Amino acid sequence: MTSRLMVRIAIALVAFAVLARIPVGFDVGFQFDAALAVIWAFGLLSLVLLTGYVGQISLCQATFAGVGAYAAGMMVASFHADYLVAVAAGVAAAFALGVIVGLPALRLHGITLAIVTLGIALVFDRYVFQDHAFEWFTGGSGGWRVGEATMFGLRMDSSKNLMAAYVVLLALFCLVGLLMVNLHDSGAGRRFRAIRDSELAAATMGVNLTRYKLLAFGMSAGIAGLGGSFYPLVAGSVSPQPFWLFTSLQFAAIAVLMGVRYVPAAALGGIFMAVVPDVLTRFGHGTLFGRPYEISYDWFSIAVGVLLIIQLIVLPDGVWGDLRTKALHTWSTARALGTRKVKVA
Amino acid sequence: MTMLRVRDVTVRFGGIVALDGISLDLNRGEILGLIGPNGAGKTTMFNCISGVVRPDRGSIYFDSRSLTYAPPHVRARLGIARTFQNLQLWGSMTVEENLMVPMDAMGRRNTFSDALYLPFSQYAERASDERARAILHVLDLGRYRNTLAGDLPAGIQRRVEIARALAMRPRLLLLDEPAAGLDAKETVHLAGLLHAVRERFHVSMLLVDHDMSLVMRVCDYVYVLDFGKLLAKGQPAAIRNDPKVIAAYLGEESKKLTGEVRTVASPRNDEPPLLEVADLAAGYGGLEVIRDVNMTVRPGEVVACIGANGAGKTTTLRAISGMIHPRRGRITFAGKSVGGRPAERIARLGLIHIPEGRGLFPRVSVDDTLRLVSNTAGSEVDIAPAYQLFPKLRQRRHQLVGTLSGGEQQMVALARAILSRPRLVMIDEMSQGLAPTVVRQLFEIIRVFREQGIAVLLVEQFVESALDVADRAYVFEHGTVGHTGSAAELRSDRKLVAGSYLGTAVDDVPVVAANGNGNGHKLDPSLLETVSVRIPAKVKRALEQRAEGEGRAAGAIVVDLLEKVNDR
Repeated sequence: MTSRLMVRIAIALVAFAVLARIPVGFDVGFQFDAALAVIWAFGLLSLVLLTGYVGQISLCQATFAGVGAYAAGMMVASFHADYLVAVAAGVAAAFALGVIVGLPALRLHGITLAIVTLGIALVFDRYVFQDHAFEWFTGGSGGWRVGEATMFGLRMDSSKNLMAAYVVLLALFCLVGLLMVNLHDSGAGRRFRAIRDSELAAATMGVNLTRYKLLAFGMSAGIAGLGGSFYPLVAGSVSPQPFWLFTSLQFAAIAVLMGVRYVPAAALGGIFMAVVPDVLTRFGHGTLFGRPYEISYDWFSIAVGVLLIIQLIVLPDGVWGDLRTKALHTWSTARALGTRKVKVA
Repeated sequence: MTMLRVRDVTVRFGGIVALDGISLDLNRGEILGLIGPNGAGKTTMFNCISGVVRPDRGSIYFDSRSLTYAPPHVRARLGIARTFQNLQLWGSMTVEENLMVPMDAMGRRNTFSDALYLPFSQYAERASDERARAILHVLDLGRYRNTLAGDLPAGIQRRVEIARALAMRPRLLLLDEPAAGLDAKETVHLAGLLHAVRERFHVSMLLVDHDMSLVMRVCDYVYVLDFGKLLAKGQPAAIRNDPKVIAAYLGEESKKLTGEVRTVASPRNDEPPLLEVADLAAGYGGLEVIRDVNMTVRPGEVVACIGANGAGKTTTLRAISGMIHPRRGRITFAGKSVGGRPAERIARLGLIHIPEGRGLFPRVSVDDTLRLVSNTAGSEVDIAPAYQLFPKLRQRRHQLVGTLSGGEQQMVALARAILSRPRLVMIDEMSQGLAPTVVRQLFEIIRVFREQGIAVLLVEQFVESALDVADRAYVFEHGTVGHTGSAAELRSDRKLVAGSYLGTAVDDVPVVAANGNGNGHKLDPSLLETVSVRIPAKVKRALEQRAEGEGRAAGAIVVDLLEKVNDR
């Protein structure tokens, strides 16, 4: 048991070390993408917990991230708080909203729950993030501008210190990801998965459904909010656009695409969500065989849709999930044969 | 001593009274059986005790604590565990993990310390792990420890369900049809296992099952429900020979003479069979429900399938009509092999299946339901003959099917079937939930089918009525055809048929006078409690029976006995 924990810590550290180095040397645009990728990865990680572990459906994860972002932005802009405090506030706000959203989930399942969460995303998108009545929270039409922020007393200015923000984000992601993997195999994780496989059996076997469902929604929202609360630091300001309804739907789609039950799939999905659109807009125009072509951002959504259909047929457990299963299978076969040619971590 | 005490529990679903003032007692260390025909209210009673259904009236006490308003996880903490008929294991978790969930849900665990791998959590983890191994060892499941529960065959999953329930350290184990889908040999094995479990884990059990052979083998005491009322209670041997119980299972004994001459044309035996089923096997998921089923239906013949619930009658019909895919065997209909063909193709050949629950569209009017037949027929169908056959439906032709009474709905289903000019109609549990007079009318319709040369394959719980109308019958037992014979033969051999419902070996047990069959509860519970010394469950039951026989309180009898001892 403990040796497994050591292996996991080692993998997390290696992942951190490798990923932290990658954006170095690229231009600011790519560094921004890298930081954004981690923020989206947190959003997907929140779905790994909620959908992958507990089996609950939510189409408002971007709303949780948005609440985290606005709360953090407000703390910094209105109260000039340390960014660490701002992040804590963002997580707490998202957690609270998550518990509230979890209340209907005590009674609803499947499609009805999806519709309710979709409604919540719509309400926040239209009537909170963009409404004058909530200017104290959203900072008005311009959003919060986070020009100067400090963390641990160090200056974390978005325009100059993007890499610093990225490294902090990445470290947090590796830590939370590690905790999530641990959670999966722990007692609480088993209770979560029991709820996913059969709520009826879980309740009769002594699992308090109310408590664990609300906890799952709160924790999931908190994880999404943790990522979201770094958005003001990375982007320099908060606007409703990144946290609109469509992002929530994209979270759901990409979580399924990459494998909703696996933590590394969230990282993969985050990179996919942040980097691919940027690559498309950067290199998406030019000439091919003498004819000019232009690929806009819209192509990204189409690509996601097509990939999702292919994945559901070819890799039903998600890109990461199925490749992992295949790799493990190959490995065990290879080991059974006594050859040491194939090595997959 | 009385561990579970249920008093005057009434449950209504809409206008239907599912349970009508039921009382029952379960003593510590006892295995109590709860049986009854379909729709008797067994499952409702079971759900009341396990907390899925809340009774409208009455109370349930467990060790003198009221359970009436306790949510399921609180019941679990009090020491009540249950298994599920339809296998509710957590399929994507290993067998060991399945056992560990109830174990640590019982203890105090903390989500955050779990995620952080704190030593406290690790210690609890190791303790749970060891107990899980111990339980798996006792139930001979050790080698499946790290297998995903969903990948195991159904018979083993049933054992894992019992293991999981035991992981909660229960004092009362509620078993919901543990023998469903098991064959005769596995059932015997299960009976032995349940006794072993009681010995080793000191649990009392409440067993709900259709499989009488299991109930008779395992239970110390049996309650029989029928139409939401308590029909009888007593020792298994007495129950098995109780004429009231046999009547409830088989329907009232037919008043007709067995040798009555039929006016209708006898089936044409010279013609090739219309439907031929050979070595059929089918099931759901990991469950193989029927195996080695062989049967034939000739043109114009009425054939009944009878047998206890869960014996595989419905599954056989489903496999024939293509609603489920047969696993093995051949099905030939009208000279064509139809095994594994899609259901709509089979229907087009003239084989109509009226499923249990009738398969109607509740929000479509009677007229439109009948016109839908045109789709299968391929051309516009004249629906007038249907109204000639069922004049009652003509008055209701514009009414939505869902608003009709159960009997009328069944008529719509039959009318729809006859309009599509079938060669064979398969009807599943036609009389379920209907009043006897309505049932009689419907059986008249079956005669009409026969007069029109349509063959009928009936699955029926009212054995007597089914045998009245049928030419031949197949008796299902444990997922295969146990006996077959002409209807007249089977009707005269009531014992054989009863055996298939109430467990074979009816003759083995001397006939004990049916006792304790009144619904009134003569025992005075408070008096019983005052003498609640630690006596074995069997002795207590004997006392209670004697008390009821003499019409005195059990406490009084105990006092008598104690005085006798003192005199010596």
